[in-house]
Amino acid sequence: MKKIYIAITLLSIFGLVLSSCATGPAAAKDKLAEILARGTMIVSTDPAYPPQSQLVEGGQRAANTKCTSDLHTSSELTGFDIDTAVAIAGKLGVEACFVTPEWTLIIGGNWANRWDISIGSMSITPERMTKLYFTQPYYITPAAFFVNDANTTYTQPSDLSGKKVGACTGCTYDSYLAGTLVIPPFGKIEPVVKNITFVGYETDINAGQDLALGDGVRLDGVLTAQPTGAGWIKDGMPLKQLGDPVFSEYLAGAIDIASTPNPIPFVQKVTEVIQGLHSDGTLLQLSQKYYGVDLTSQAASYDWASLKQFP
Amino acid sequence: MAVETIKFPGQPGVDPDLEMGHSLMAQQRREQFIQTVKIGVVWVGLIIFLIFALLQFNFSPAYVFKHFGFVLQGLPITIGVSLASIAFATILALLGAVARLSHNSIAQGISGFYVSIIRGTPLLIQIYIVYNGLPQIGMALIDKGIPQGHFFILTAIQSGILALSLNYGAYMTEIFRAGIQSISGGQREAAESIGMNSIQILSRIILPQAVRVIIPDIANQFIAMQKDSALVSFMGIWEMTYRANRFARQDSKFMEMFVIAAILYWLLTIVSSWAEGLLEKRMRHAYER
Repeated sequence: MKKIYIAITLLSIFGLVLSSCATGPAAAKDKLAEILARGTMIVSTDPAYPPQSQLVEGGQRAANTKCTSDLHTSSELTGFDIDTAVAIAGKLGVEACFVTPEWTLIIGGNWANRWDISIGSMSITPERMTKLYFTQPYYITPAAFFVNDANTTYTQPSDLSGKKVGACTGCTYDSYLAGTLVIPPFGKIEPVVKNITFVGYETDINAGQDLALGDGVRLDGVLTAQPTGAGWIKDGMPLKQLGDPVFSEYLAGAIDIASTPNPIPFVQKVTEVIQGLHSDGTLLQLSQKYYGVDLTSQAASYDWASLKQFP
Repeated sequence: MAVETIKFPGQPGVDPDLEMGHSLMAQQRREQFIQTVKIGVVWVGLIIFLIFALLQFNFSPAYVFKHFGFVLQGLPITIGVSLASIAFATILALLGAVARLSHNSIAQGISGFYVSIIRGTPLLIQIYIVYNGLPQIGMALIDKGIPQGHFFILTAIQSGILALSLNYGAYMTEIFRAGIQSISGGQREAAESIGMNSIQILSRIILPQAVRVIIPDIANQFIAMQKDSALVSFMGIWEMTYRANRFARQDSKFMEMFVIAAILYWLLTIVSSWAEGLLEKRMRHAYER
């Protein structure tokens, strides 16, 4: 008799679990509809990169939030990416909730619907386009050459041809100097400097420090993100920017190609929203707030449709 | 010829042997106390030396104090994940041990396979499989029109708890098995002779005695788990390691932030071992003379 009771209990628990699952979020016809019905947009960000994304010390979880307990609210994070995500969610009429997985998990795609979108200053590259859909870029990172303050002979980036130029190993700047950088939809970017001696560094700051030792002591020039170099100069390093930026990376929202249900209307909608945030000046304002310069206008004129992401 | 006087306990008068015993014991206690004090002084000396050495090399104590509270906020999650995992692991271990000791070949096979496969693979790989690998199956099931595929797509915290439970469950299966086997067969036979069934024997006779034997081992596993819970930080759970890591990378203050995290884990394990000592003492009570 007892055994029958146990069997019935176990079966009913099993049934409950199955049925609770069957009535899960399988109803929506596409990703956008699912997000609107849920009332939350789950955004991934890696909060180790100020001023784009960082943790707020002593940040409290928002009180009236629709985000489930394993997600974080916008009050616990801060930065340009976070404010952009909140603005996008606002235009969609939903709340932005955040998850913080490792960067490699974000760029690898196959998110298993754990989060809806990455607003993480992700540069549009051909490799990533095989796994992710990109939205309209919301800002750019211009790359510029920097030289030592003491130098008087260089007047433009091409003057560095044949010299020793430092940059981070394996990053975009490395590819640019090697002549292998491809930026969709423009294709291959031809470097303005020729026959340089490349000096690779673990991170950009190490290259900057070597350049600061003196003109031509260890390096003649460094290629890095223009805001990064400007930050070094602001911190008192004896450097100056050489001419205009040589190329720009376009940083956009990314959505997993493998997400279910169909994510394409969501990609289109977010693109529309970002274009709106460009034209009403919201993004420009955020760029001024976090970077002190306009990094968004060039992203606004990016021809998103020419990426031809959808068949 | 001298008359030997024998003094029996309880008789009036002074007992020289007892006196000597007492003074010897007092001497021993004094020596032990001095030894403890000496060891304590060495500990304090080592800690002062470490602090001094750190301060010589660009270590910023102000930064440590400023961010201590931030890392501390991750403590409840570390404790929560460990407690949930040890609870599930205990259930798994009990089932595993009973299966392992049963005479059913299927149960024995499953249990042995589980213990072997989990103990033979790194915990980090198991976490990767649960968090990154299982969703692949889940998505494939959903594609095939089986909505239960959602079961395989766990959130970061669920994945962490599942992986830790499975891992520690396997190690604890062996602990439980040893604990159950330590109870002599005569007790089982006696229980059988008064008509108890096997579940009654397990829950009323074997387990209450076995638990006393295995409590220190379970507590050790719990302490180890508190430290292994740091592995779940890569999935973006805001426990202590994650919090320390984010600020370390952001401000290049690796030594400062990881020292904070290390101190907190250390304190946590000290408190846990102390609590385990109390528990052990309580469980031992009936057996003390």
